[in-house]
Amino acid sequence: METLDITLPRMALLYGLCLLPWLLLWLIGLRLSRDIGISILRMTVQLSLVGIYLKVLFELNDPWLNGLWILLMLLVADLSILQRAGLKARYFFLATFTAVASSILFSTAYLVMLVIQPALYYDARYIVPLAGMILGNCLQGNVIALERFYSALRKNEKEYETFLMLGATRWEAVLPYFRAAIKAAINPTIAGMATMGLVSLPGMMTGQILGGSEPWIAVKYQIAIMICIFTSTAVASVINLKLSLNIAFDGFDVLKSEVIEKG
Amino acid sequence: MDLNPYFVSRQIRNNRAMPPIIQFDHVSVCIHEKTLLSDISFDLFAGEKAVLYGKSGSGKSSVLRTLLGLNPLTQGSVYFQGKPLDPVSIQAVRSRIAYIGQEPILGAESVREALLLPFQFKSHRDHKPTEDQIVEILQRLQLSADILRQDSSRISGGEKQRIALARGLLLGKSLYLLDEVTSALDAESKRAVFEVFSDARLTVLSVTHDPDWIERCDLVFELEEGHLIKRRGRAEHQSF
Repeated sequence: METLDITLPRMALLYGLCLLPWLLLWLIGLRLSRDIGISILRMTVQLSLVGIYLKVLFELNDPWLNGLWILLMLLVADLSILQRAGLKARYFFLATFTAVASSILFSTAYLVMLVIQPALYYDARYIVPLAGMILGNCLQGNVIALERFYSALRKNEKEYETFLMLGATRWEAVLPYFRAAIKAAINPTIAGMATMGLVSLPGMMTGQILGGSEPWIAVKYQIAIMICIFTSTAVASVINLKLSLNIAFDGFDVLKSEVIEKG
Repeated sequence: MDLNPYFVSRQIRNNRAMPPIIQFDHVSVCIHEKTLLSDISFDLFAGEKAVLYGKSGSGKSSVLRTLLGLNPLTQGSVYFQGKPLDPVSIQAVRSRIAYIGQEPILGAESVREALLLPFQFKSHRDHKPTEDQIVEILQRLQLSADILRQDSSRISGGEKQRIALARGLLLGKSLYLLDEVTSALDAESKRAVFEVFSDARLTVLSVTHDPDWIERCDLVFELEEGHLIKRRGRAEHQSF
């Protein structure tokens, strides 16, 4: 079964749908026309570019090119995590890259090579979208973990110092904030798995069904991707936070102010 | 043997064979281009009771934080029992010191949990106090054993300070850094605290504005804008 293409005139009709929320927002006094316009334009340009390079990637299906593409995604994700978590990339770049790359590569390789087992293990049709989906969710988790941990530490500086003064090692003193940050990072994935299929149909499954897959196959792929997202988010967040401790504190266990972005 | 704390501390001070428990050697601390301490030098021998006093912002609390390794040194050295404070020694140093601030953080929901909190840490795990020891320390600080059942967020500031003191005493620490610990105490509780810290085995470096407390200390260090401007021994201080 072929997926029906959306012709350009029909795409224009689709953009027209945005006029309804735009009008509604305008009526209640929210002047967001510029933001909405820029967002829709950016989405269109970015996804068009993705369409072009995915086409090239799938046609060439070269293992080095696929690997290079995943590396590029990891680098962009690394910078994005640190920027959104308010940490300076020049200090944490390597730690975050190590944590995220190792967990993403491991879970994607596990999924593709052991579970799906395509004829070509480096097949761009499998590894690029799967790694991308896992990475996107893992990125969110890592932003939450880092941001929550360092915010809590700054907010509870006196409590942290009290733990140190009571004989705690640095690890023992940060453990309550560490646990809370990891919990916050993986909670959305756990909640998502618990309500999946009840509240909404997941995007990947919907895409596969629209693409002509049997619903049962789409379900299995969705379960596979959720387990990989959960695994990589939990593993990357724990490794990332743990590695960051050696960078963020001085030899006296004091949080270095210079590693945190101001503002 | 005379166990008068003053007598004992003078004896210890005169015994120069022992290194001072604390030594600040030309210490300066600047943080974010602000000078907190400037060329501070003093020493404190085991058993002595010393007080830092001066206006707000004069650097009193910074001295305590510097000793705990919480302020990086810009210049000079800090020694604990003759050894320089460094990243290798800092945890051992902290495990010998009890720091009690003006608004102590108890770090647990109930008072009992707060008192037992340090015994969860590896360094104190094998020295958990018995119920009798806990009650005895509480009584010495004029606190009833009933307080153990209370929520730590519902007790008064004065009770919090004494629970923090009790925690330090339960840990059997020998050096106490006390930052305005009598500020929320009534006269009776204050007397109990004085009594506890008059123990000749305990060394005390305190920060206070309380004339009664200053009166009872062997050594008085006056600070102004990060400089140590005056130091007085007990004898010269009697009229304070």
